[in-house]
Amino acid sequence: MPAERQIFFPFLFRMHKALMWAALLLLAGYLLVFLFYAANLIQFPFDYDQGEGFELVDTLLFSQGRWPWQNVEAYPFYSSNYPPLFHLLAVPFAWLFGPSYAYGRLLGTLATLIAAGAIAIAVRRDGGPGLLAPVSGLAFIASNTIYHIGPLNRQHMSMVMFETLALVVLANLGSIRDSRQRRKVFWTGLVLILAAGYTKQLALATALAAMVFLFIQRPLRGLQFAAAIALIGGGIFLMLTFATEGQWWLQTISANVNRYDPQQALGLLQQWFELHGFLVVPALLYLLYELYVDRLSIYSVWLVSALVIGLLSGKWGAGDSYFSTAIAATCILAGVGSSRLLAWLSERRNLRAAPGLLLIPLLYLGYSKSVLHLPTHSPPFDSIAALLEIRPNAPNGFYDSARSRAGDFPPGYADIGHLTSSEDLRAGEELVAIVRAVDGPVLSEDGSFALLAGKDEDTNPTQLLNLANNGLYRGDALLQMLREQAFGLIILRAGFFPGTVLQAIDENYGPDQVISMNGFDYRLYRPRPAQAK
Amino acid sequence: MAVGENTRRILLQGQGLLRAILRPMWERPLSKRQLGLLLVLAGSAGFIAVLAIDILDAGREGGLGPAQSLALGGTLLILLVGLSLLPLGDRPA
Repeated sequence: MPAERQIFFPFLFRMHKALMWAALLLLAGYLLVFLFYAANLIQFPFDYDQGEGFELVDTLLFSQGRWPWQNVEAYPFYSSNYPPLFHLLAVPFAWLFGPSYAYGRLLGTLATLIAAGAIAIAVRRDGGPGLLAPVSGLAFIASNTIYHIGPLNRQHMSMVMFETLALVVLANLGSIRDSRQRRKVFWTGLVLILAAGYTKQLALATALAAMVFLFIQRPLRGLQFAAAIALIGGGIFLMLTFATEGQWWLQTISANVNRYDPQQALGLLQQWFELHGFLVVPALLYLLYELYVDRLSIYSVWLVSALVIGLLSGKWGAGDSYFSTAIAATCILAGVGSSRLLAWLSERRNLRAAPGLLLIPLLYLGYSKSVLHLPTHSPPFDSIAALLEIRPNAPNGFYDSARSRAGDFPPGYADIGHLTSSEDLRAGEELVAIVRAVDGPVLSEDGSFALLAGKDEDTNPTQLLNLANNGLYRGDALLQMLREQAFGLIILRAGFFPGTVLQAIDENYGPDQVISMNGFDYRLYRPRPAQAK
Repeated sequence: MAVGENTRRILLQGQGLLRAILRPMWERPLSKRQLGLLLVLAGSAGFIAVLAIDILDAGREGGLGPAQSLALGGTLLILLVGLSLLPLGDRPA
């Protein structure tokens, strides 16, 4: 070996390692921010993200042995539009602790951490040893999107966890020689895919990716996988449709056909690329390498299918969370690709390829900068924010690089991620006290106030709107109750009810007060006096 | 009787032949060329299907909408990727 290689390479490797450690430490910082945010949300007893309340109602209905897919034309006008698995996992907690967001948010947090762990395992197993495995797992948690939806009482991250576990299990199926072991892995992957699909419908794309990959590897196995999914998944689907007298089909499938806005999808795609570009580019390059030079891995097929799901984020009610599967696939592909490149560079010791050694950690350092988000007013992060001269651009003293300096963000990006404060807690308690003092039912756009006040949760506004947009909701009974002023109080946040319902509210109820919580205005309406109508 | 036996024998031979041809095909990984061919077929079918929406859905307003243009772009991309894989031959995909 020439002398310059003997001197230059160890130096480059030391530089590479030092930079990798720097990237690891920075990304571990985001894990701390994530855990801080999760702990803050788990302790907060009220609604945070729109929709959390209805996921809790689903869990409570299951805990009482009732289906959440119900006829919305009859009181309490409630139905879920999601599959059951996430809510079923929370049922034992509901039996123990009653209505609370804490356990759902804890489950979401754990699902995010497990998904990150699975990403690290995949990079370690299919890429190689070194820091790239933990860095890839941490990069997933560091994403602005994963950060802000991870600790919610929402089912999305559990779906991503099941998807990631399924693909990590199935990735090396073809190389297993022992037929018994191969069968075990096949069925484990299949059960995990079904679990993802029965957590959220979007996992269909991951199921297709698994089928396509297995078909490419061995067409017969791909067809067997597809047949087994169709039989078992289809069987459960039919059973639920019959058991709920068609409500499962109506509420989870028919109601989910929504208006599509390509501008929203393209805006979110651009934002996804701007935030994750440092990893997206190497992931796509590695995909091209596998497509044209090597053999396609399951992760490459997954990234393509996940990007298609990302483009569905233009659907009404969808948002940046639709890119979370693509973020998981990106982290794995970038990690595996970088690991293989690193192994190749180490083996060849080619001086012309040496910049690659520094490029890999620099990509992760660049990524750490582009996904910057942290609380700016809460210790210990406030001193970091002060040191870096970061000013908040989100509510409650929070900086999120996904937003402009003025706090703007593309349509569909979730307006969350900031911490809740003691003022928010007081506002929530005030809202619950107001609801408790009301005689009769309360119509609330968010679920917790009625639940914590010991009242029924009436309606799921977004689901009523989904159905109305598809011509599947009349709302006669609800409109009649509004005309009769049967609700003692109405609480609106975003006004996601169908137009006819909002009009009836406007005609029969008058604005009373506005209470701000978590940066959102809760508008309270009380029955108008008869002469004022 | 003899005709029936002959028919049965021919059918069995045909079945064996079919299995001999298909079995290796089903159990071998797809080649880059085969994958390319499948992508060309899928891309072409998708392209025609997206365009056909205008013809079949008579009640719709004419012209390509933004969502339809996006879908057309996607199918075209699949078609082009498929074409680019065709020259890569029998290497496993």
